[in-house]
Amino acid sequence: MAAEELRILTRHLGAPGVTGLPGYEAVGGYRSLRRALGMTPEAITAEVKASGLRGRGGAAFPTATKWGFLPQDVFPRYLCVNADESEPGCFKDRVLLEELPHQLLEGTLIAAVALQASHAFLYVRGEYRAPRELLDRCVAEAYRAGYAGQGVAGSRFGCELVVHGGAGAYICGEETALLDSLEGLRGQPRLKPPFPAVRGLYGQPTVVNNVETLSNLPYIIEHGGAAYAALGTEASPGTRLFCVSGHVERPGTFEVPMGHTTFRDLIALAGGVRTGHVLKAMQPGGGSMQVLGPEHLDLALDFKAVADAGSSLGAGALVVMDETTCMVDVSMRLVDFYHHESCGKCVPCREGTYFESRLMHRLEAGLASADELLTLADICEHMEGRCFCPLGDTATWFVMSAYRRFADEFRAHCGAGCCPVRAAAEAAA
Amino acid sequence: MSAAPSPPPELVTLTVDGRAVSVPAGTLVWDACEKAGVFVPVYCAHKKMDPVAVCRMCLIEVGTMPKLQPACATVVQAGMEVRTATDRVQRFRQGNMEFLLLNHPLDCPVCDRGGECDLQDFAQRYGPPRSRTAITGKVHFDKARPLSDRIMLDQERCILCWRCVRYCDEITGDRAIVLQERAVHTVVDTFEGRPLTGPFQGNLPEVCPVGALTHTAYRFRSRPWDLQRTPSVCPGCSYGCTVGIDSRDNAVVRFVSQDNPDVDDSWLCDRGRYGFPELNRQDRVLTAELSLEGPVRAVGALEAVGAAARALAGVLERHDPDQVACLGTPQMTNEEAFCLQWLGRDVIGTPHLDHQLEPWPDLAPDEFRLAIRELEDCDTVVVLGERPEAATPVLTLRLYKAERKRGRQVLRIAADADPTELAGRVRDRGRVGVVAHEADRDRARAVATALAAANGSVHRLTLTEGMNGRGCKDLGLLPGLGPGYRRLDRAGMHGRAILAAAAEGRLRALVVVGPNPEMEQDPAYEAAIARVPLVVALTPVRGLLSRHAQALLPGRTMAEKQGTVTSSEGRVQRIRVALQPRIGAPPPELRLLVELGRSLGGTWESAPLATPAFDVICDAVPAYRGTRGGLRAAWPGTGGAA
Repeated sequence: MAAEELRILTRHLGAPGVTGLPGYEAVGGYRSLRRALGMTPEAITAEVKASGLRGRGGAAFPTATKWGFLPQDVFPRYLCVNADESEPGCFKDRVLLEELPHQLLEGTLIAAVALQASHAFLYVRGEYRAPRELLDRCVAEAYRAGYAGQGVAGSRFGCELVVHGGAGAYICGEETALLDSLEGLRGQPRLKPPFPAVRGLYGQPTVVNNVETLSNLPYIIEHGGAAYAALGTEASPGTRLFCVSGHVERPGTFEVPMGHTTFRDLIALAGGVRTGHVLKAMQPGGGSMQVLGPEHLDLALDFKAVADAGSSLGAGALVVMDETTCMVDVSMRLVDFYHHESCGKCVPCREGTYFESRLMHRLEAGLASADELLTLADICEHMEGRCFCPLGDTATWFVMSAYRRFADEFRAHCGAGCCPVRAAAEAAA
Repeated sequence: MSAAPSPPPELVTLTVDGRAVSVPAGTLVWDACEKAGVFVPVYCAHKKMDPVAVCRMCLIEVGTMPKLQPACATVVQAGMEVRTATDRVQRFRQGNMEFLLLNHPLDCPVCDRGGECDLQDFAQRYGPPRSRTAITGKVHFDKARPLSDRIMLDQERCILCWRCVRYCDEITGDRAIVLQERAVHTVVDTFEGRPLTGPFQGNLPEVCPVGALTHTAYRFRSRPWDLQRTPSVCPGCSYGCTVGIDSRDNAVVRFVSQDNPDVDDSWLCDRGRYGFPELNRQDRVLTAELSLEGPVRAVGALEAVGAAARALAGVLERHDPDQVACLGTPQMTNEEAFCLQWLGRDVIGTPHLDHQLEPWPDLAPDEFRLAIRELEDCDTVVVLGERPEAATPVLTLRLYKAERKRGRQVLRIAADADPTELAGRVRDRGRVGVVAHEADRDRARAVATALAAANGSVHRLTLTEGMNGRGCKDLGLLPGLGPGYRRLDRAGMHGRAILAAAAEGRLRALVVVGPNPEMEQDPAYEAAIARVPLVVALTPVRGLLSRHAQALLPGRTMAEKQGTVTSSEGRVQRIRVALQPRIGAPPPELRLLVELGRSLGGTWESAPLATPAFDVICDAVPAYRGTRGGLRAAWPGTGGAA
């Protein structure tokens, strides 16, 4: 199958003035919201259930099921939009925030109708300053046009929209840390249970959904859940945005139907591995996920297929690495990221990421002994599954998968006095 | 007050390392393990705080769950199979200890907590056999950061268990301590770096499992193994908090809290905790001194008792016993108070005896019916003015607990608020507790009456001044009321009237036990004492009494004697000898008082020791029977010992 995008979510991308309300309305914007207001909350949820939509934040949890966890008759309820996109290699929510902000607001309001939420809070990553300012303007437009606030689009349903900027912490993408941050506390994950659906923001039932997840709702309401489900496969319905970066000719965000597209197609969309080089490794899902190799190129972008290969589609990223890449160096950089972003709440993550980072720096500099590779494995063993939240797990996944796949390269670093991969590259040059 | 009838909790049976254990539904696995006799190490969990599961030290295996689970935050389920000793658990504990020690300084030799540190203990028991941390440098922080004049923080020793942070959130509610920065750079500090100002700071080093938070007053003072701990009662006020008195080389070096869920709930106030230097005072009355005829001379205590008795007998030969009075102090033990009222009333024959200044003509035990713990079971607690919490600070924490953890209404009103308007402010009909200081007892009665008319069941807790003000009242060291609030035919003068009579020259002799903090603050006290021709004084410390007494008898501090004291809620608790008297030291005060009475012809039927004296008390005051072990006296109508 030829590498081809299928633009559903991004169907209005680049339409004239679409970042403003008139431009968005001109392409049919907010029609789905009006339709949703004429439906019962149960009917909207049923439509989303039929679509098979799964969360696009990384965990891929079925959206309608998540909504269904809200207890009956407990009000007020809140909806939080997770726009704290911070995964290394991930920039697809940014496209939706910057190019199609009203589509997100429409999706948010549709979800609010389905959940009967009185408030929707849009939590935007701290570094996304321009998108946040745009969102502020769009929210103001939505209020002026009567799409937000009391009596949404002339109905009896009311929903307030609140845009809140984060302070630049990766952990606030974890939904309970996001809630704490939103409440003005330190952004740190909460003890579960209770889950946010039962006791979330300000102690009320709360749903947290990703930007891409919600941006799909206008299409699903307009065309029906079944039409959306038909776009992908049964296990992985719909289309999805993938961010391709690294050693490719044209890095970018691409929308493709899930299950019908392979990693090879995705890399082809991005212009292929950069000229004169060959693929050494690739990391799907963002910085958290396990490394894959050239033999996985023909794997379909399907939740299950990728899971079976020992990795995950995660938040929809693909980092491509060619033969010049030192896997110890990449591991070190990712470990440094988690060390920097650990919230410090639990011991294995706080201390383990520090230990891991110090050790990886020694290894990359060729100063570590072979025994220290065993220490590295120990550290990861004591972190994975032992930390308070998944951040600690993810801080081990890439490095351990790289160690397994490129064990010789890791061992070659021990006692080498320098990075052998870099030394070889410099010698060749 | 009877406790709310609650259905018996449903029991859940699970196994811990193969041992079956039954616990109430909702119990945490950590507590179930403890009940099964299986120790699970933990740093962050604390019995009085909500779980946070941050230290991960208590991870254990549960049933078929693939991941290890935190025992401190997992709720038991029927048939649950908990395994705490598997290789996987032990291996993880070793790994987690390695993490914890990674950035911990190796300064145990100069750390106050060395020897009573969970990090040390668990490192020994669960830690890795050798260090692999040579490859990492340690992250460095502030090692001596004063959080106030009482508390010092060493940020490097901190293992970030959050207990101090949660203490300030959940127990005091002042949110004074917060976490700053993130990842391995995370530290605890005060909010915006402001010094701590709260009255409960001394609990912080106790909740700290390591040597991060230390008492300024105890820094570099001792090693725990050099200390002797004596269980006793805090002498700071009438709340009756249990303490451990830690002493070394015959000096008190600190008070530590002892969890008594009925009273202190394991918290002490700083006034009580840091009041211990009073017990180490150097300006002591160590020998008896006589100046009955001629200049002051030091004599043996029993010789001085004989001389004092002869002088008192001389006064009684020439004058009516009405011209003699006895003044005690709420710092006396029950045995001493009872003995002093025997000496005054039965031996000397005077009706003028008191332990406080103000008159209490209509005192009755129903002012004290409500127990401290029962405050949590009241739907509404009304607190009159600021005096209750000023007199007994730990009360504040119980009120906060009732409010925060039990959802009760705590209504703080002005002491002179109009009682008739109050009923409308009480949230629900139900049980109401009225808490007042003894100085506001008339107002408290009016409030209780008004609320009883509107709301039904009202119970009162009256807070007394001094460590044993309640015991002095129970045992009749009062004018007009004998032991057990028995009404007497002869009304006597109360404390202020006794001082006035003395100042006017109407008293021929005065027997005083001191020091009495309330009286010593009153300028009339010294003027009165100075006018009395014969002052027989018994006091451990130099001061006003030692200056004016003609017969001065050496007393003991509460750390040097034994006996019982009764807290405001009527709980009778033992104090014990923490500092051993030196060889040849004078006998305890109780014996001196008994000997004084006997020399005057009185009959004291038991040995002059605390334990037999308590039996005498029980005969005279039946409510005191069955209080041994720190129970409340069973006054008629108070629903028995609680």
